[in-house]
Amino acid sequence: MTRYCMVIDQRRCIGCHSCSVACRVWNDVPEDLIYNPVLSTGVEGEWPNVHRNWLPTLCMHCEKPACVPQCPTGASQQDADGTVWIEYDKCMACKVCVNACPYGMRDQSKLQPRLHQFIRKCTFCRDKRKMDPDAQPYCVATCHQKARIFGDLDDPNSEVSKLINSVETVRLLEDLNTGPQIYYIPALGGTR
Amino acid sequence: MSKINKSKEEFGHINRHYWEWPIASYLFLGGCGGGAMFLASILAFFVFPGGAQSALVQGALAWPIFLSIVFLALGCVLLVGELGQPLVFIRAFVKSTSVIAWGARLLTVAMIFAVIWFASFIPWDWFLPVANFLVPFREFCLALAGIAGIGVVLYTGIMLSSLKAHSFWATPALPILFTISALSTACALIALSFGWWPMDPVFYTVNESNANDFFTAWRVYGNAEAGLLYTAYHVMNEALHLLHTLDVILVACEVVVLLVMVLSFLGAGNKCANAVAHKWVHGGKWAFGFWFGMIFAGLLLPEAMYVFWSETAASTVVAPVLVLCGGLLLRFMIVYSDERAPLPGEKIYYGRLVSYKADFLHKWKYGENLF
Repeated sequence: MTRYCMVIDQRRCIGCHSCSVACRVWNDVPEDLIYNPVLSTGVEGEWPNVHRNWLPTLCMHCEKPACVPQCPTGASQQDADGTVWIEYDKCMACKVCVNACPYGMRDQSKLQPRLHQFIRKCTFCRDKRKMDPDAQPYCVATCHQKARIFGDLDDPNSEVSKLINSVETVRLLEDLNTGPQIYYIPALGGTR
Repeated sequence: MSKINKSKEEFGHINRHYWEWPIASYLFLGGCGGGAMFLASILAFFVFPGGAQSALVQGALAWPIFLSIVFLALGCVLLVGELGQPLVFIRAFVKSTSVIAWGARLLTVAMIFAVIWFASFIPWDWFLPVANFLVPFREFCLALAGIAGIGVVLYTGIMLSSLKAHSFWATPALPILFTISALSTACALIALSFGWWPMDPVFYTVNESNANDFFTAWRVYGNAEAGLLYTAYHVMNEALHLLHTLDVILVACEVVVLLVMVLSFLGAGNKCANAVAHKWVHGGKWAFGFWFGMIFAGLLLPEAMYVFWSETAASTVVAPVLVLCGGLLLRFMIVYSDERAPLPGEKIYYGRLVSYKADFLHKWKYGENLF
């Protein structure tokens, strides 16, 4: 079985927002949406011991997504490989999934026509991977610092499983029991 | 530059309400309408069982049920209009496992059977063949409408409380609060409109002063019509009294559940729920809405009117109206308290983005930047 996940190495991220730009360009995201914001709480610490953490985000493609069971039309769905995606032809934009997502990674563009709107989100570049199974999402392919690493968690030889097994990782809002599949290597964390 | 830093309302998840007044109004209308159907079936089947009595009460309940059908229909219009694609709302009936899909089905069942039930009471001459044909199905339709009605009441609260992203909604107290509030508003709705059209106007000829004349006529002369009128007067009086008593109990329960929910969040909620509860209890217009609007004017004042000024206009008209307004305010305040715990730095990020209306964003048209 394939189980896609992403490891984000916060030690390597320099906050250049290339991933946001690449996603926007290649996936043709509407102007008022962002699938993968790069967050930061600003500069921390006192001079000269200052540091700044960057938190690149995207849809967490949870094991037990909060959004998918709420969808009344079956437009939100999860593939066997863990990808959570929206079938636009089934969506009617009731916005329950937007309210259900604890990470705020779904949104509705206001630039769509009034009577034909749907919810959009990151799909781990599902369309690209359908054409080329070995392809990586655009945000991963464009990251020049190699801070985003994409791969198959069920394959013990993949880079992501090696990293997750060797380095201490954290996940966002883990106590909500959604099982997010984006693993962060904290900037100030150590090896296990 | 002028649009920079003005984008908080326009851009970003953290500052935007995805569900606004149509959903809040729908939650009120659906709860009130569904609850009225449930209470009507309880009144007709369990409180006043048996042929003549039940038929009489059902006749008096025709107008409240009509109002609840109007409420549910109006709620459906709001729900569908709020969708991003209103023309394909039928997609909501496809999947069987989501709470909203079940709600859509229950809503449909409740409305269809309530409409059939109400049609059997319409006294227009040209409609009589249809109405008479529908009379044998009254009990069946009212039972189904009542079951589906309580389903609608329950699902509105369960739907909100299953969204665990919003800490203020994701609590078992919310479905309980919504159910109690829906039943008490339904009680108020029935009490306000009990016994109006299409009830036979001859029933209105009996009142406090001449009820004993009808009783005498029935006892002394064996006048069947007078006896029926006398019974009708007493059954309806009893039903109204019962509705007021029930509303007293429900409003008292609602005060307790509401205070327990909000104050427990204030003391023991997580950071996000805590902030919302703080806003409700201490913060400006929200605190005014909570303490004055909901607790005082929506619950305690009607409770006092029911108890201390019974049998006056205060308890028959003003108190039910206040209960209805309190229920509406409760739904609005709950729906607009949709704070989500932000990811670290999320507020800063979305606060710094330019407005999506900014000119330079639209120099390239959507779909033009394909390679």
